[in-house]
Amino acid sequence: MRLKLDSRAPVYVQVIQYFKEQIASGTLEKGEEIPSRRELASQLKINPNTVQRAYKEMEEAKLIYTEGNMPSKITNDEEVIKSVRDQLLEEAIQNFISSVHTLNIPLEELIPLVKENYEQVERK
Amino acid sequence: MIEVKDITKSFGRKRVLNGVSFTANKGEITCLIGVNGVGKTTVMNAIMGLTPLKSGEILIDGKKLTKESYEQITFIPDTITMPPTMRIKDAFDFMNDFYQSWNQKRAEELLTFFKLQKDDRISDLSKGNKAKVNLLLGLALDVDYVLMDEPFSGIDIFSREQIANVFTSHLIEDRGVIITTHEIGDIEHLIDRVVLLNNGVVVSEFNAEQVREEQGKSIVDVMREAFHV
Amino acid sequence: MKNFFKLLNFELNRFSKLYFVLLSSIGIIQIIITVLKARAYLTRANNAVLKGGMTQHEFIEMYSKFSMIDVIHSILFAGTLAIGIAAILFYIFFIWYRDWFAKNTFVYRLLTLPTSRMNLFFTKVITIMMSVLGLVTFQLMMLNIEKTIVKWIIPKVYREDLRIVDMVSASEYLPIILPQGIAEFFIAYGLGLGFVVIVFTAILFERSFRLKGIIFGLLYAFISITIFILPITIQLLMYENLYLYPMELLFVQAVTWAVIVAASLLVSRYLLKNKVTV
Repeated sequence: MRLKLDSRAPVYVQVIQYFKEQIASGTLEKGEEIPSRRELASQLKINPNTVQRAYKEMEEAKLIYTEGNMPSKITNDEEVIKSVRDQLLEEAIQNFISSVHTLNIPLEELIPLVKENYEQVERK
Repeated sequence: MIEVKDITKSFGRKRVLNGVSFTANKGEITCLIGVNGVGKTTVMNAIMGLTPLKSGEILIDGKKLTKESYEQITFIPDTITMPPTMRIKDAFDFMNDFYQSWNQKRAEELLTFFKLQKDDRISDLSKGNKAKVNLLLGLALDVDYVLMDEPFSGIDIFSREQIANVFTSHLIEDRGVIITTHEIGDIEHLIDRVVLLNNGVVVSEFNAEQVREEQGKSIVDVMREAFHV
Repeated sequence: MKNFFKLLNFELNRFSKLYFVLLSSIGIIQIIITVLKARAYLTRANNAVLKGGMTQHEFIEMYSKFSMIDVIHSILFAGTLAIGIAAILFYIFFIWYRDWFAKNTFVYRLLTLPTSRMNLFFTKVITIMMSVLGLVTFQLMMLNIEKTIVKWIIPKVYREDLRIVDMVSASEYLPIILPQGIAEFFIAYGLGLGFVVIVFTAILFERSFRLKGIIFGLLYAFISITIFILPITIQLLMYENLYLYPMELLFVQAVTWAVIVAASLLVSRYLLKNKVTV
């Protein structure tokens, strides 16, 4: 697991974002075990306290759950997973639209371009 | 918690520390940053009672330093704290003899991790390996606070990685760590708290994540502002 | 307490190699001197008698018999003892300074041991005192060995066998190192101990204040020694009005000594705990 970290944004937020992406894409499946606080800190070379905070917030947001002394797992709740996916998609679309909007390109021109670029990426 | 309260110290006519205050908590990694010669090592020495202060006080868990404190706090300076004629196993025996907090099992575990042998003579070791042994001697003690002076300086990149791994391992678990450095480099995300030292005072003391969250600044950004670069 | 003995053991071990080399060298050189001196005498005697036509009796009349005194009187022999003393004087300083310098920071370790820092002081004093005692014992042993070697080389007719006691008292410098009586022993070692303690205190002044410290240290030593020789000096100056019996003078000196040593220990303790710096 390699994360390119931005030094100006809170690390715990970046960790949560990363997990959200993995959950939304299905790379991390529901009920799948995630690394322990210490393991993840070691892998990412970040402070364990930061990982702790990220896990705490994900737990509060019901993205992960922990049973007793067992390792934490991704939620089984499909609703939650869907809402994460929706949220990330919404964010991506908003970002795209605001950057494209300044260029004043009409929607009819945009959609085929998006389709073409998307298919190009798929083929790779 | 280690509380450094308004400490001053002069070397001859030069006032090196002019009212330095900061705290370091257990369970956190605190980093003292400043240019070479600013007095970081002096602060560490002062905390350990290795150099006298002109004024101010330093409290460890609310109490002044005593000889018993050395079972609670350890210092890893940038040169090895054992006679070079000793073999690693002699150093282990020495530590075992004098410190109740010495954890022989952990020492051997670390030795394996660093890929060193008990029979190695300290004077025969490379600089990187000497640094690892030095680190080992401090980390194998079951102490609450570990002070490290420039743990990465002059060390080859692979040794640096090994040493950096230590910071995320169970070896540092729940301990209070103070490290000094003059360059942040690859440990930027390992640090909890930053204490910037310049011209004999603390110009800034902050929590790294908090600054990222509230101000969108990296540690280096804050440093740049504080040191007016 | 246990830490004290561990430290002492450590300190003694550190010195053992150097010490062994020192003693062996002294021993070997002394044996060589003994053999050379004895054989030179024998050669002279044999030449005079077998070739020169003297009788053994005439030779002995003229040159007297050979004894250990001839060995002890030689400058080289005295030199070996000087080497021993010089080595110990050197170590009195080296025993402290070695931990600060020579690219290692062992002093960081010693000063952050969970044990009283005065243990460092005491173990070093004891190491020095023990090494002096060892040297003295070794010398006594060597005199016996050398005496035997003389017996092997020189035939009875030419030789005078002396008791160790007589050898020592006949020499100018040996009685200083090999005290002749209990009182002399305590005085010699008492003075030695006082000297070591004062020098250590001066060293600690230097390690606490560096350049200024050397001045403080020398001043401290000077004052201590002055106070110490006060009773006997007063006594000598007031030669006319001697008012203390020798035993009383000894007692006063002993008390002065105890006070000086105690003061030095207190000062050293203060410096070690509060002022010493790496």
